[in-house]
Amino acid sequence: MELTFKQYNTIRLIVVMILAMIIGNMIVLKNFFIPVILLVVSSLLLIYLKKRVKGVIADERDYALGGKAAFLAIQVYSWVAVAGMFLFWAFSDINPFYKPIAMTLAFSTCILMLLYSVIFRYYNKINFADKKFIYSVFVLALFLAVFLVFSLRLFSREDNWICQNGQWVEHGHPSFPSPTTNCD
Amino acid sequence: MNMTQEELAEKSGVRRETIVFLEQDKYNPSLKLAHDVAEALKTTIDKLFIF
Repeated sequence: MELTFKQYNTIRLIVVMILAMIIGNMIVLKNFFIPVILLVVSSLLLIYLKKRVKGVIADERDYALGGKAAFLAIQVYSWVAVAGMFLFWAFSDINPFYKPIAMTLAFSTCILMLLYSVIFRYYNKINFADKKFIYSVFVLALFLAVFLVFSLRLFSREDNWICQNGQWVEHGHPSFPSPTTNCD
Repeated sequence: MNMTQEELAEKSGVRRETIVFLEQDKYNPSLKLAHDVAEALKTTIDKLFIF
């Protein structure tokens, strides 16, 4: 089965739309496993379909444009995030929730800069033939890390209700109400 | 040479849009692409691209 670039783009658009709808609903329902599994499955499906496309999907001009666009996007995000961070930090006396937002913006900017530097150095030094393999390993490691974090978060008993002296007591900050069963 | 942009793009290993941009002098190709396009058109880089 061979696909044209247009067919591939249409399928990709439909997959993204379906994914967005399902993930949106699942997050509302506080179910994080299905979105993670769906992301992995849809990514694999798109990789498979991409290999079936007849013709060139992206060439050197796209890569050059992609590099410029990514660099500009990083700059814009960093400036906006830093400005936002100062604003949220300045008004954190009004609302204590502003402080974690400011911290998130600051750390996300730092991580983005760090990631950019690491990837830049990687492309600067690595042998071209090894890129595909290392990229695949990186993507796999990323998926595994996300899966591991979700698993630990959901299966750990850090945020749960524990039975103490015949009463359900909060352990951590469980996001669900106490069990309705008797605590013996 | 009677060749469509699509055919030239396929022979050069790029997208048709890149050929359009090359024709309109809106994109500076890499040495490899310049070579591939010149080879597809059975000519040389210096004859195809005016430096």
